[in-house]
Amino acid sequence: MTAAAIAGIGATEFSKDSGRSELRLAAEAVRAALDDAALRPSDVDGLVTFTMDSNAEIAVARELGVPHLSFFSQVGYGGGAACATVHQAAMAVATGAASVVVCYRALNERSGRRFGRVAAGAVATPTTSGVDNGWHYPMGIATPAATVAMVARRYMHCFGATSEDFGRVTVADRRHAATNPHAWFYQRPVTLAEHQASRWIAEPLRLLDCCQESDGAVAVVVTSLDRARDLPRRPAVVRAAAQGAGPDQFTMTSYYRDDLTGLPEMGLVARQLWRQAGIGPADVRTAVLYDHFTPYVLIQLEELGFCGRGEARDFIAGGAIELGGRLPVNPHGGQLGEAYIHGMNGIAEAVRQVRGTAVNQVPGDGPVLVTAGTGVPTSGLVLTR
Amino acid sequence: MTPETPVAAQTAIRAAADGLKVAGESRARAARDPVNLPMIRNWIEAIDPAGADGAGPDDPDTAPPAMIQVWTMPGLRGTRADDDPLGQMNQVLDDLGYTSVVATNCDQAYHRYLKLGEQLSVRARLLDVAGPKRTALGVGWFVTTRSTWFSAGEPVATMDFRVLKYRPPEAAPATSAPATPAPVSPTSTENLVSPMRPQITLDTAFFWAGTAAGELRIQRCASCGALRHPPGPMCPSCGEPSDGGYVVAAGTGEVFSYVVHHHPPVPGKKLPMVVALVRLPEGVRMVGEMPGVRPDQVRIGLPVRATFAQVDDDLTLPAWRPAEGALPDRVVDVTPTFVVSSALATRDFYYVHHDRDRAVASGARDIFINILTTTGLVQRYVSDWAGPDAVVKTVSIRLGVPCYAGDTLTLSGQVTAEEGNEQAVSVTGRCGLGDHVTATVRIAR
Repeated sequence: MTAAAIAGIGATEFSKDSGRSELRLAAEAVRAALDDAALRPSDVDGLVTFTMDSNAEIAVARELGVPHLSFFSQVGYGGGAACATVHQAAMAVATGAASVVVCYRALNERSGRRFGRVAAGAVATPTTSGVDNGWHYPMGIATPAATVAMVARRYMHCFGATSEDFGRVTVADRRHAATNPHAWFYQRPVTLAEHQASRWIAEPLRLLDCCQESDGAVAVVVTSLDRARDLPRRPAVVRAAAQGAGPDQFTMTSYYRDDLTGLPEMGLVARQLWRQAGIGPADVRTAVLYDHFTPYVLIQLEELGFCGRGEARDFIAGGAIELGGRLPVNPHGGQLGEAYIHGMNGIAEAVRQVRGTAVNQVPGDGPVLVTAGTGVPTSGLVLTR
Repeated sequence: MTPETPVAAQTAIRAAADGLKVAGESRARAARDPVNLPMIRNWIEAIDPAGADGAGPDDPDTAPPAMIQVWTMPGLRGTRADDDPLGQMNQVLDDLGYTSVVATNCDQAYHRYLKLGEQLSVRARLLDVAGPKRTALGVGWFVTTRSTWFSAGEPVATMDFRVLKYRPPEAAPATSAPATPAPVSPTSTENLVSPMRPQITLDTAFFWAGTAAGELRIQRCASCGALRHPPGPMCPSCGEPSDGGYVVAAGTGEVFSYVVHHHPPVPGKKLPMVVALVRLPEGVRMVGEMPGVRPDQVRIGLPVRATFAQVDDDLTLPAWRPAEGALPDRVVDVTPTFVVSSALATRDFYYVHHDRDRAVASGARDIFINILTTTGLVQRYVSDWAGPDAVVKTVSIRLGVPCYAGDTLTLSGQVTAEEGNEQAVSVTGRCGLGDHVTATVRIAR
């Protein structure tokens, strides 16, 4: 897949209380992305977002004065949609369904609806998802952290991983965020000891294993590579894009598969990405890995092939995922450090890494990997120059 | 700092508490009767239906330890002694508007069992007054007293008793403190079982009908025999539609993984809570709470047994408990006769335990079990399981929702610790409203 590229990125500030509506945040981010791409709202003919986004494509189009949309799409499964929005946009561009597609996500996740709370309504929704939730919500597994904790406990049991191994992800993210002025945790690194001292949320997860809650919005502009080359920014070529759902897949509670310690949907994404891009894990310069909860960063490293099953704790030891390490992960600080914009801020960081404009620029010009939400049907991207 | 309580009032309460603490123990108050067989037999007959039909064990030569308070109850026309510290502290709090009272905790320790004929006396002192605390019932103060029973000068048992004296949110008419406070927990809402309920569809109805019937049902494909959980309308193994067929699980399994949930609050759950993913020998996995189980009692691989938590008439949740060290459940049919006879057998004549009209008029749904009976039920439940050689050392009780006449109280227990010849048994007594009592009983063998 070489027909599409990301030509512009835009974001609002990342805060705990935006003071604005989610629609306004979406419009601001899309506008900023178009400005970055040197395109106008009238150039846009496609919009893609998450099913969880509260802003319909037509509402965003109205606010920006986008006159016509020939492609609009929403991708499901929470943060698993992040890279899939670009996947959708790239396919639309490749097929001619649209020529300029903007992908966006806007949320007041801290000042408005907080995902970490128990959403009792999720079990009452008259859908298959609602029915699925009936197998664990009433029993008390009713928050994202709790759903991940069940997998994390089994992972620790099978491979000897510890809470400190999870904490190394936090330390890396927060170290990177500390030098990123856009990050909420700018200039606020943490130590492993601070991670270990943070309180239990859902054992074995501590507070510092859980990403922050944020208000904000991010948008990216996807167009054909040919057109992108005529625009002022260096194009971030969508070298590979893929979605994945695995066997006996549930949303956050795929507890009934033979193996509880993997993310086979991410393995499926990985195989597609490597095949499409014609590269392997060893070629990746830096990876933006979805980090709503630390244990899934370890499991992703295994599913993506950076290390063998159960070996992530060894892989990440000694600062390998920090700047200067073997595989710098989340140089912007990730969702633990920069902001939780449901993975979209990670795509923007990958674009900056391709352009060479990131605040924590990883040297070289190799491919950049991005992944989307874990524990859910997910997606991924490889971006290159 | 609680705005409802002016600093002057707080100072007055603390000064009164300090004065009572310095005053120390009250004068000894003698039991009316010595430890005697007729009262013991009445008590056993009322409290322990299992040993009550005349065919029970031989008459004991010692008193059931949980009867300790019975011997010195003031009786039908009794009143508190002038120097009773709880009575005095209650008066101070009544005067400042903390007119309502509930009992929250009762911890009894038995130094030895009492023989027939022993003449007891009791002395009480104020241990602690803590507040003001904001509770679900209103702002109040926790008052803890310690009673010590003596036989010929020898201390034989103690009881730490904690009540919450609180100001009802709406100014209620002042009432005098009852001899036995109503067992309504200030934190009772957190004991209510989960209000989150699954959607019951054509594909899943058989499972929920099963839990209601006390069965764990696993979908079984009529065509290929494959078992599956969670169930669905088609068999993914052979592609045939499900015909609603199932097998009933053996009700055993082992912990495959588990979560100890601390935060945030979950509606209807008491935190921290343990939720397990259990692997059944039939080959499927299932999620269920392990109610009343401490985190340090759980490990991957722990053998468990299925249990069922009835939420209401429409919903019963599957749940799990450790297979080892579990006491068999005891179900107590809480008839009006049970409530009245056990209250009288414990010499508790407070009207809320025998006079339905007055109980309802005072805001209760019906007459309800008194604390001495709850204590007795818990002690007998553990003693009957442990056998005649076991000696009960302590019974510590935390009170939850009231258990009204017409309800059913299910006692379940779990050995939670063993050291030398001593065991700790945690007991939960659950009724229709939720947990009526959670307790720890320590026994020595």
